[in-house]
Amino acid sequence: MIKFHPSEQHLVLYAAGELSPAMLMMVGTHVDMCPKCQAHVQDIEQHMAAKLFGETETANIVHGFDEQAMLQTIFSSQSPAVSAAQAANDSLFLEGQRFALPPTLARNSHRIGEWSRLPGKLWRAPVRVGGEEMLNFIYMGEQASLPEHTHKGNEATLVVNGVFNDEHNEYRDGDFMLLDDHHKHSPATQDHDCLTIAALEGPLHFTTGLSRLLNPFSSLFFK
Amino acid sequence: MSSAQPDNPEHAAELLAKIAAEQSRAAFSELFRYFAPRLQAYATRQFGNEQTAMDLVQETMTNVWHKAHLFKPDRGSAATWIFTIARNIRFDLLRKNKHRQNDLSADDLWPVLAETNDSLDDDYALDNDLLMQQLAVYCEQLPKAQRTVIELIYIEGKSQQEVADALEIPLGTVKSRTRLALQKLKELIQHDD
Repeated sequence: MIKFHPSEQHLVLYAAGELSPAMLMMVGTHVDMCPKCQAHVQDIEQHMAAKLFGETETANIVHGFDEQAMLQTIFSSQSPAVSAAQAANDSLFLEGQRFALPPTLARNSHRIGEWSRLPGKLWRAPVRVGGEEMLNFIYMGEQASLPEHTHKGNEATLVVNGVFNDEHNEYRDGDFMLLDDHHKHSPATQDHDCLTIAALEGPLHFTTGLSRLLNPFSSLFFK
Repeated sequence: MSSAQPDNPEHAAELLAKIAAEQSRAAFSELFRYFAPRLQAYATRQFGNEQTAMDLVQETMTNVWHKAHLFKPDRGSAATWIFTIARNIRFDLLRKNKHRQNDLSADDLWPVLAETNDSLDDDYALDNDLLMQQLAVYCEQLPKAQRTVIELIYIEGKSQQEVADALEIPLGTVKSRTRLALQKLKELIQHDD
């Protein structure tokens, strides 16, 4: 079972599309792997929809545009093309092994760059998603370790497949963890390898846009 | 004639079904008159720009018109589906003029508008064995009538119409039992830590 989940706030911002591109990928991949967070995101979307469309003060709704003209434009329009033309590749091959990619990563497999080898049985490949943050696959072979380190800003890590440990816990498939810049840790594997994705996160803008729709529910959501 | 408005979820879902099945302009116009002004009011507040706001309304409602067949009533309300389309359009509009090659598109993140192979196991990621076992336990907590419908659909793979025929109950009843059962299952999953 998945033990470590993104925060409520991360799920809200994911549903609103207001995280950084790297964090949208991270949270989206966790949601793919976690039925509980999936159900949760559906609830959040439902709340946001209710807030957006449940406008009861009809005074706020101005019929301030030519509805008839827009209707006619829509009736005579072509069906919009879906921009996701890239063939999804749902597997990743590395060190002679095949790893199944969760749907969010599979849909974005064309963004995965070249793998490069790092010292200590580690491999890394960038995932190019735009934005200020770095998103990388990190693969740790068996008996591998990273030296103790801290980060500038937050670091989010998600286990795609395998197991690793740090001083605090053991992390398995689907586990999502967020470390702030005060956090020191030394991840290591034992007799199992581990494929993760990791995002180094810049400052977030929490208070804008769609997520504001949830303000009236914040006592429910931001426990 | 019913006096239902599109703010009634059942009615909104029926309108979408009519648009999908027979390209009913009347059904779409009714949905449009309810949702478009609300989207417009919201988008104007969001963008502070009339033209971008109108683009959001038009692109969202154009997708509703052409893609109504992708709406899955068991998965959420019509309003939620339309919200997720608007969310995707907004996401892309905010990036549209930046022309950065690597930028994510909304379809890459939330495949709301992808033509899928529409399998039932898509709905709640039922492809996980562990989850299946757990779900079986949860199913036993459902009222008998709902459990029967869920078993026929999700285990025997019958369509909702086939279930209606087999049990000699109206299709609408099958749909509402399915929805209530999925809702109940969702609650059970969420409250089980």
